[in-house]
Amino acid sequence: MLFPFSPESNSPSRVVVTGAGIVTALGTGWGVNAEGFRSGRTAFRPVQGFDVSRQRTKTAAEVDVAGSLPASGLSARQEARLDRAGRMLLTAACEAWTAAGWSGRGEELPLILGTTSGGMALGEEFFRRASTDPAHRAGQATRVTHYQPQRQVLDLMDAFGFSGPSTVIANACASGSNAVGAAFERIRYGRSERVLTGGYDALSQLVFAGFDSLQALSPTTCRPFDARRDGLALGEGAAVLALESLASAVGRGATVLGEIVGYGAATDGHHLTQPHPAGDAALATMTAACRMAGIDPAQVGYINAHGTGTPLNDSAEATAIGRWAGADAGRVLVSSTKGCIGHLLGAAGAVEAVVCLMALRGQWLPPGRRVDVADPACGFPLVPGPSDASFEYALSNSFGFGGANATLVFRRWA
Amino acid sequence: MSRISIHGYGVVSPAGWGMVPFREVIDGPRTLAPGMMERPDGSRLPTLRVPAPAVRPAWLAHARLRRSSLISHYGVAAAMEALGAGCPPVDGGLGIVSCVMGGSVQYSRRYFGEVLKDPSTASPLLFPETVFNAPASHLAAMLGTPCRNDTCVADESGFLAGLVIAADWLSRGVVGECLVVAAEEADWTTAEASRLFSRSAVSSEGAAAVRLRRGPGPVELIRVTSPQPYRHGCNRTAAVEAAIRQLGGGIGTVRFSHGIGPRIDGGRSMNASFGDGLAASGGWACVAAMDALLRGESTEATVCVAGSNLQVMGAVFRKGQSEP
Repeated sequence: MLFPFSPESNSPSRVVVTGAGIVTALGTGWGVNAEGFRSGRTAFRPVQGFDVSRQRTKTAAEVDVAGSLPASGLSARQEARLDRAGRMLLTAACEAWTAAGWSGRGEELPLILGTTSGGMALGEEFFRRASTDPAHRAGQATRVTHYQPQRQVLDLMDAFGFSGPSTVIANACASGSNAVGAAFERIRYGRSERVLTGGYDALSQLVFAGFDSLQALSPTTCRPFDARRDGLALGEGAAVLALESLASAVGRGATVLGEIVGYGAATDGHHLTQPHPAGDAALATMTAACRMAGIDPAQVGYINAHGTGTPLNDSAEATAIGRWAGADAGRVLVSSTKGCIGHLLGAAGAVEAVVCLMALRGQWLPPGRRVDVADPACGFPLVPGPSDASFEYALSNSFGFGGANATLVFRRWA
Repeated sequence: MSRISIHGYGVVSPAGWGMVPFREVIDGPRTLAPGMMERPDGSRLPTLRVPAPAVRPAWLAHARLRRSSLISHYGVAAAMEALGAGCPPVDGGLGIVSCVMGGSVQYSRRYFGEVLKDPSTASPLLFPETVFNAPASHLAAMLGTPCRNDTCVADESGFLAGLVIAADWLSRGVVGECLVVAAEEADWTTAEASRLFSRSAVSSEGAAAVRLRRGPGPVELIRVTSPQPYRHGCNRTAAVEAAIRQLGGGIGTVRFSHGIGPRIDGGRSMNASFGDGLAASGGWACVAAMDALLRGESTEATVCVAGSNLQVMGAVFRKGQSEP
């Protein structure tokens, strides 16, 4: 039964990450991504997946999706039907699953994913064919089915052989953080011992054109927190995390990559696409997440900012960070990795969660894109370049259309 | 163990706006005849549309709804009915769980159509409304709630999963009350998609909303079953049977079902009454069950939703101690 719930234990469980998988334009897997984020490598190129000749912006951080997939329980026919988003998700999930050492066959394992558009490219193709050649229906049922995120959920269950409750959170660009946060809370409050979670999104023509028509895409270079920033850059990818209670991880001798200690979520009702200029909801999520973690701003060594590079987002977030940190604002280092891999929309929060785990584990700070002149609202230092650091806690912000705001807090596992 | 109760519900359906026309169909004297929705090539698809409201709701004047799509209008209308007159402020904050399957398909279709013609002239006003969580964002802005607000994508079973998320938030005190809302809008693209899987499918639209609190109330949520996902090779009949076994229920229990459920549990078929309203269908089944309890049909009601492409879920509701 999903409800009623089992009685809660008196004290919340500690939640650790025992596996992580990541696919970005920097590459596939923890190693190549850690190296890329640590050095601040950027991964933009002219868009190849669809025609952008009539768009203002013509570049994005596209992934070279691998031709072959890692071994899983999917049949060859199921694999052949996976679209770009599904392939990235499965690749990241296989890495996380293997790293965690989970077996899972026949297990009831909750799955919580974040996405904004599932297999959107298939939905686009369904529409193209339905509107131009309605009599020709071959393949249309498959496009309808595989365009929806439900298909990606079932594919992961088939790939690893588990069943269980699934949740797909579609809170725009905060989806990935909300998914990881919901998974974290599920374990923390004793609903489950283990949860597979993450986020994924592939570039699609509709979404690319959408941000371009809003003039939200940078026609030059995406420069989060730079005073001369002029927009965001899109990217694509996936990240999956294997979360479990500390007791479960210790009980089976698992390697722990890091700990999740706080989560906050709130809604900004200011505008459908613009944040409140003072960052009220961002302040609320950072405050709530740190309260849950039992820490104050002085203990946070690094913030992976939402930092899209749009004028409105970055100034609102900078204001919120300043309000949250108060007198400690000068001590917390901030960067946005979107300057390197673009904005991954529904995957962003999950990918940036993995970046925080990498940074905590390696004790380095991801520099993001070089900032020449910082926005005057930045009352905090930006990570100046590739650098080592000694820090215990990292915080990740994600904000989305519709006012979806989320913050996660991670702790170094030593 | 936390008790979770229902303190209001509302619907928009092809029968009309609100519970009164909805009951007319549930109770039987009235049946709905599908209209025809036209494709761009002139061919037509049977669809049950929501009729225009007799009186334009005052809340449609809210700035957030000025450019919004029908899905947002339906969701707000159902939520306002669930909240009741005056929408009093909520101690502990009001959370929102929004359940969708098709989402903002009308604006998505219009916007992508513009992109295919010439992306450089595609309207920037349409794109933000295509995002899955736009309806929930509008609702939160209208109600002035800064609390948690999750939009979840699933099939028709999603509303039951949404009840569990709300129950979780309420049990832990994350919010003082929670709205679970499912809304969908019809479009020729979704009508055509439905017909690819069943030649008799009638696509529909509308919304359902329920207002939940922790503690006792006029209707209580007793059980939500573990989902039976449609993994590769799954026998859907067996999945429904497994859900029904978890539901239990004896003589006198009223049953409402969606999908292939009625064939197995004999429940009143929501598809037969209202067509396939995607995520809204699961909400309609739950509201019908709650309403049956409050109208004294029984003291216990079950809902079994066999979704189109994800899973089967069921729920049990019981009449509580106090009237609303």
